[in-house]
Amino acid sequence: MLLAAHAAGDLTALTELYAKAASQAETNVARGFYLTQAYIFALEAGDTRAEALAVSLKNQGRL
Amino acid sequence: MFNDLEAVIAPIETARGLPNAHYIDEATFAQENKAVLFGTWAGLAVGADVPENGDAKPIELLGLPLLLIRDKDGDVRVFQNTCRHRGMILVEEPRKIEGAIRCPYHSWCYSTKGKLVATPHVGGPGMNTHDAVDNDTLGLIEVPSHIWRDVIFVNINGNAAPFEQVHANLIARWSEFDQPMYHGGADSTFQLAAKTNYKLAVENYCESYHLPWVHPGLNSYSRLEDHYNINEPDQYSGQGTYVYRQFEGENGTRFPDFKGLSGKWDEGAEYITVYPNVLLAAQRDHGYAIILEPKSINETLEHVHIYYAAPKVDSTMRVKNTALWKEVFEEDIFVVEGMQRGRYGPGFDGGRFSPAMDGPTHCFHAWVAQRILDHRGSEAVAAE
Repeated sequence: MLLAAHAAGDLTALTELYAKAASQAETNVARGFYLTQAYIFALEAGDTRAEALAVSLKNQGRL
Repeated sequence: MFNDLEAVIAPIETARGLPNAHYIDEATFAQENKAVLFGTWAGLAVGADVPENGDAKPIELLGLPLLLIRDKDGDVRVFQNTCRHRGMILVEEPRKIEGAIRCPYHSWCYSTKGKLVATPHVGGPGMNTHDAVDNDTLGLIEVPSHIWRDVIFVNINGNAAPFEQVHANLIARWSEFDQPMYHGGADSTFQLAAKTNYKLAVENYCESYHLPWVHPGLNSYSRLEDHYNINEPDQYSGQGTYVYRQFEGENGTRFPDFKGLSGKWDEGAEYITVYPNVLLAAQRDHGYAIILEPKSINETLEHVHIYYAAPKVDSTMRVKNTALWKEVFEEDIFVVEGMQRGRYGPGFDGGRFSPAMDGPTHCFHAWVAQRILDHRGSEAVAAE
């Protein structure tokens, strides 16, 4: 599903899938990685979720 | 070569045109481009190419990758289409930027105003900042740009005086047309490809000498003697007519006029080149802009855009008007291609000018030559 979203350039789906992966991540590093991915695709899309994702990254010292 | 250019800027009675090398020799053309296309205000596109906020269009100017974009506040900007990280091309095809411009390589992101807004994983996985990477100094490289009559002019080397200063006299000359003009849309734009150096399309546009021979259809209502030369040395040149005939649709319907024009424009019209590569027309009921895109030393793509005085004009008339202009411009193709081929003849010395008829052409040649001489002079000073 993730690869399909990448192949299709479906930014909404990519944001959702990476955000979901972040919520299920088992390590801080993995969580940071997935949150970053979700944030970037939301930013590209002009998706309003980018703001909340940025806040999460800042709270974790990642932005 | 230096003496050859001195001959170009000589008085028209004795002057020769630019030497063949400026049309057929890559090294000479490259040096000329530094002084002319990249050193002055060159036409790149029109505002109608990016009509909505976020619209982005990559354009290559003789291999220089540029990105034309209308930012989120509606301002048109031109950037180098190159990521500040590893130099990747940012935008490959015209498209809408909904949020940020994301580099397809490592996903560094830029706002539509060129600011670097995200550097994912730059500090390691999930760490999106690094002390060594200062976003404030790594925005996209912006190219100075200016819009006049919807044409987007760029000064690639950033050294030219402001556009309004360089072209103050021309802007004043056509100040009556300083009012809204509306692109006719998809049916009012077309491209013509010509196997010629762009400078030959300029010189053909500047003068009326060729009209009775190349456009014989004009003879019935627009004779050679109905035209006048426009010569503004070191500025611009072109031609004017005293007998502009408005396009008429069925039942004599005409396009609406631009507002408040003086009597000069009732039957007058002017056709001027904004050096180095923009051909413009000012007429009472419509105008046009032609951007000459140099694809190579001997290939030019002409981008024609037609504008009207009202946002909506009769579409049938508009289509016919476009077809008429296309026919006229196509008639010039064999000339500009023939002059290009003629310049491979080593005996051609740049040619002579008719002092009576070729003033606008000589004006352009002299302008190009002077830009090159000035550029050589500034390089010599820098080398000292």
